[in-house]
Amino acid sequence: MRCKKEISKPSDNSMVLVENLNVTFGKNQIVHDVSFNVDQGEIIGMFGISGAGKTTIIRVLTCQIEEKNWSGNVEVTGLNPSRKRNHSKILSNIGYVPQLELLNLYFELNPMANVEVFTSTYGMNKRKAKETAEKLFKILDIPEDTWKKRVSRMSGGEKKRLSMAIGLIHNPQVLFLDEPTTGVDASKRYDILSYLKKLNQHLGTTMFIITHDLEAALICDKTAILKQGKLLEFETPRKLISSLPSGGLVAKISIESLDQKVIKTVQKFDSVKNVLRVGNETIEVLMENFKNNLPKLMKYLFENDVKIYSMSSDIADFRRFFQIRIQEEEEKENEVNLSEINSEGGIIS
Amino acid sequence: MKKLNIKNNIFRLVRQIKKEFQLLWTDKFNIFIALIVPPLVVALLGITTDISGSSLNLIDCVVVSYDSNTYINEINFTESKLDEYNMKYVNAVNNSNLLNLIQFLNASEEIYAMETARNYLNSKQIKVIIVIPVDFSELLIFGYPGLIECISDSSDFQKIQNNLNAVYDSIKIFVNQNNLTPQFEVSGFEEFSIPEGYSFKFNFMMVLVLSFMVIGVGMVSTILIIVQEKPIARLLLTPVERAEILSAKYITYTSVLIIQDLSLVISSLIFGLYVVGSLFDLFLALFILGFTGLAIGIFISTISKTKTQANQFFFATFLVLILLSGIFIPIDAMPNYLQIIAYALPLSHGGPLITGIITKGKSVFGFDFFTLLSVSVFLVITSFIIFQRRKYEV
Repeated sequence: MRCKKEISKPSDNSMVLVENLNVTFGKNQIVHDVSFNVDQGEIIGMFGISGAGKTTIIRVLTCQIEEKNWSGNVEVTGLNPSRKRNHSKILSNIGYVPQLELLNLYFELNPMANVEVFTSTYGMNKRKAKETAEKLFKILDIPEDTWKKRVSRMSGGEKKRLSMAIGLIHNPQVLFLDEPTTGVDASKRYDILSYLKKLNQHLGTTMFIITHDLEAALICDKTAILKQGKLLEFETPRKLISSLPSGGLVAKISIESLDQKVIKTVQKFDSVKNVLRVGNETIEVLMENFKNNLPKLMKYLFENDVKIYSMSSDIADFRRFFQIRIQEEEEKENEVNLSEINSEGGIIS
Repeated sequence: MKKLNIKNNIFRLVRQIKKEFQLLWTDKFNIFIALIVPPLVVALLGITTDISGSSLNLIDCVVVSYDSNTYINEINFTESKLDEYNMKYVNAVNNSNLLNLIQFLNASEEIYAMETARNYLNSKQIKVIIVIPVDFSELLIFGYPGLIECISDSSDFQKIQNNLNAVYDSIKIFVNQNNLTPQFEVSGFEEFSIPEGYSFKFNFMMVLVLSFMVIGVGMVSTILIIVQEKPIARLLLTPVERAEILSAKYITYTSVLIIQDLSLVISSLIFGLYVVGSLFDLFLALFILGFTGLAIGIFISTISKTKTQANQFFFATFLVLILLSGIFIPIDAMPNYLQIIAYALPLSHGGPLITGIITKGKSVFGFDFFTLLSVSVFLVITSFIIFQRRKYEV
């Protein structure tokens, strides 16, 4: 890949350190040799399609997987989760916001009672818990008239924000959030992301977001891309995008009667590196030496009877990077599989 | 450090208990089942049964008399038609608190008397046919033991003894009213009977009702308390210990059980439960029965993965408890291996434990109590082990 995967060395303010993490259940290896380091105050986004191993890694970090199932050097807030005696301290230092609010909140109780239930587990007294809750509720715009209502009577968005507040109620050093924007409509998704950023800025909490939602990269300091248990990338979104050909410049071209044949024609052009179909009649093209080669590409398409409606250029976003990276990985896997089949065929013949 | 840990444990436990009470308070249906239904059932039974000393349901009967028919002495071939005691016995049947005479059939006047009586029995209109034999009066007049024949509906074999007891009662009245030398053994009625002014029916029912109710309510109110608490997995991602969560549940529901048992004892006394033994013993008996139900409920909740599974476990368990309680089939009549299972189940000890206290004045501390205690201790320990090992993932 263009972006060199470097594991930043643990600094003094390292919050999460993972070195050569392997997770195995029976004969299935779920996570393969994953390494990364997260510093204090960073927001990390973990992206990957289902089965990528995101949740498994978080479960190791949150002491949910027994040591017999994993190997490697892992430290969370400077403590190793492989030691059972560290569990209580680690759990005191971290917060967790599950995907579904019903797993995090007692719907029959009011928000303040929920706060009390969770703060008591950290040994916080009632007054301090109330003060912290009020501060968080204000940051998260949870209306005061709902504080003493049953959670079941709150709106979906309010529940989501309350769930975040519960995760942060003991002022943890690291907060893990599982799919915080899943099941939320598009406009509210951005609200949630901005609340997370706001909390990060106010409290300086390190955040770990596991998500399918690639928009979440907007607030992430670093993004991790996982595929089938392997960490493909761990870098800032800006660096990842700039590692694309021509620093991530893309040509967005609308073509009449767009089909696979036309796409193949585009791919045949020398400097074209990636072609992504992004709509019914639209493709995005990444190429080397964008400025020089774009007019040549247009001429080439015209000569090949490809009818173009419109063309514009833009900088790729994280979504495009993710698609390209996953596509590349799949192509690589296909090549490996093909060569394996060929070599086996050779032996037989 | 250790002292601080214990302080933290207690702090968290107290807060968990508070949470359980808050959750319980929001679950009005559960409160209704646990605290309102039991005394309500006692009250309903108390109101609907006659407190002024009524008996069990009267046993409907028909008396068929052959006494007025001609009797031929087989030794000296003399004939007689004595029937002096015939109507006196019928009067005794009428005076019995246990029998309800539907019809008197005199075979000397109605040749199909016996057939009519059998039709009554077949159509379940009566439970017993009492037959006065042809030589009934003759035997009594000449100082011989009298003989009454009794044909009981045996389709419900558990009731046969009740039917016979009722007939014995009529004979007892007959003997007393006619100053006859008791020729009939009447036993088992006097020793632990319910005195005048108390309802025999209510006392008889309460033994079963109390044991079924406290175990059943204990189970019903706890089968879902773990399986339906979704945030448990999230709670385990805090420093709280599993033992603290489960202990809080036991403490909360045991407190509810204490209130429930107190209300049961008080309402039972108000509505006329006759208790020979100590009230504290009765309370302890109800408590241990209820606690066993609660322990079964929590055990079911720890092993179940879904609410549906917990409900299915509950029905299956309660069915086995009832079937092997000895109410439908006497435990001694079961095969040996089933007897062992039956004696290990709590419901088979509920009846004897409560009967022993209320009618015989026995102490609660006996075989039944310690069996129930062992069963509950076993269930509590097992539920803690299962809950400790259960996999929770968020």
